[in-house]
Amino acid sequence: MNLRKFCLTIFLLTIVLYCFARTDTPGRLSDSLNLKASYNSSLIYPGARLGAEYSVKSFKVVKTKKSGKMKDFDKERFVSANLGWYHHPYFHDNFYFTAGWTMRRTKSTGFFTEFSPEIGLSRTFLGGTTYKVDNNGNVSVVRLAGYYYALLSIGGGVGYDFSKIRHKPFMLFYKFNLLSLYPYNSTIYLRPAMEIGVIYKLHFFHHVKSKF
Amino acid sequence: MQRIIIGFLLFLLFSCQKEKITIGTNVFETFYLENAGASMRLLVEGNTASHTFLIIVHGGPGTGSFVYDTQYISQNIENKYAVVFWDQRNAGASQGNSNGNNLNLPQMTDDLKKVIELIKYRYGQNSSVFILGHSFGGLLTASFMTTDQNQSMVKGWIMVDGSHNYPLNDTLTRLMLLKVGQQQIDSNKHVSDWQLIISYCNAHPGNFTLKESDQLENYAEKAETYIPEVNQFNLIAAMEAISIEDDLPITSILFNYLYSGNAGFNAALAKTQFSSLLYKVVTPTLLLYGEYDFICPKELGEDILNRITAAEKKMVISPVSGHNLMFQDEVLFCNEVNDFIAKYR
Repeated sequence: MNLRKFCLTIFLLTIVLYCFARTDTPGRLSDSLNLKASYNSSLIYPGARLGAEYSVKSFKVVKTKKSGKMKDFDKERFVSANLGWYHHPYFHDNFYFTAGWTMRRTKSTGFFTEFSPEIGLSRTFLGGTTYKVDNNGNVSVVRLAGYYYALLSIGGGVGYDFSKIRHKPFMLFYKFNLLSLYPYNSTIYLRPAMEIGVIYKLHFFHHVKSKF
Repeated sequence: MQRIIIGFLLFLLFSCQKEKITIGTNVFETFYLENAGASMRLLVEGNTASHTFLIIVHGGPGTGSFVYDTQYISQNIENKYAVVFWDQRNAGASQGNSNGNNLNLPQMTDDLKKVIELIKYRYGQNSSVFILGHSFGGLLTASFMTTDQNQSMVKGWIMVDGSHNYPLNDTLTRLMLLKVGQQQIDSNKHVSDWQLIISYCNAHPGNFTLKESDQLENYAEKAETYIPEVNQFNLIAAMEAISIEDDLPITSILFNYLYSGNAGFNAALAKTQFSSLLYKVVTPTLLLYGEYDFICPKELGEDILNRITAAEKKMVISPVSGHNLMFQDEVLFCNEVNDFIAKYR
């Protein structure tokens, strides 16, 4: 698959997921929209990530334990779009856009776990001046040198939803993502990344606002 | 807001890729050479004010140049000259897309030529350049030295435990394993290990396939560790020491190594030799070999010494080294390299 086809696939996937989400959950877009911002550390290297997630499905599960105790939690499914970046000195800066599917399970106490596979496109910028030398020995500088890669990511994390008990419109989370870039030198490139960030619930904001 | 974000991103990108050339005595700078689908990283360290550059042509293929950037070399060579750590295509921190088709010896020879042209472009056409090939880097530098008029671009050729002739290399490795192995068995040292090696060598007498060649190399690597006279070298410990300090992209190094080590061009390399072309070499040459290097036995150095027509040539054997003389006998390595460069720069 060439780059153009790949970009088109990502674009269409995002649109399809978005349309699916829109038809499945009626109402204003912001009623089901969360905004995400995080520090995106790739091992010891800095970065950042911004994103939005749109609730597609949400339901409550109640289970009865053997002891007779009731246990309940929320299951939510989101489609998400994210823009990430990390900086690895002398190697590259990587900007990447991903579309993903997030599965989140939140306990009544507010603690949650989540898992999300994502697909996307990465553009790296090499970590130093890049030159080209022609066959006559003439040297020129390559501007904005770097590469496009297809990107697959899987991530899992934990967090706390402050809206459950404390009625605050945000969540804090920690997430580990494993990014894979392809084709990297005819093979694959794996990159672990850790996110610490906040998810802001626009939905909650509207509810609070409507009370006044 | 949008303008601020775009401005910030552009600042980040341009500040990383802005051309910066430093002439000084304690330089550390990174830049890339883009050629035939690969962007190869070059790290220059040390005394660029000397206008003398030692280009490390690493082994593998695919190992990367990071491992040669030791504290001892920093303190004993980089204080006098600049050392260029070049990550070959599909190795170390070098990057690219689907470029495996360009992973071959002629292309890498062209890469090396362009690396030298780039060094001279950045630091001055009057710069003195020396190339140092280790292991597979020996084959690559031999290819470079015997191609066209390439050797006129360098002041000297240094070979450290390098191979210029893979078929001969396999033959010599087998003979050395048999000879030293028998001596070790007679001395009652690592008997079962050596018996296994000897029995393999006896069962595979010559005209080696790539698989046999790889197996001989595996045994050669192990054999070195059975010899008490050898200063053992721990690659993992060396990596740990420099991985954070040098901002190494560990997974890039690993996946490049796995790819290059198993790439199709290794089959062609197994049949490659430059012995018949070495008569062309008239450039001063220094040959450094380990007495206990089973991977690239010292007889390879003797073959080079006997065939090149350079008037100035020297071969030195380290009695405490195996395949990594620059780490196993650092004092000898730095002294010999410094003397050689001082003489011919």
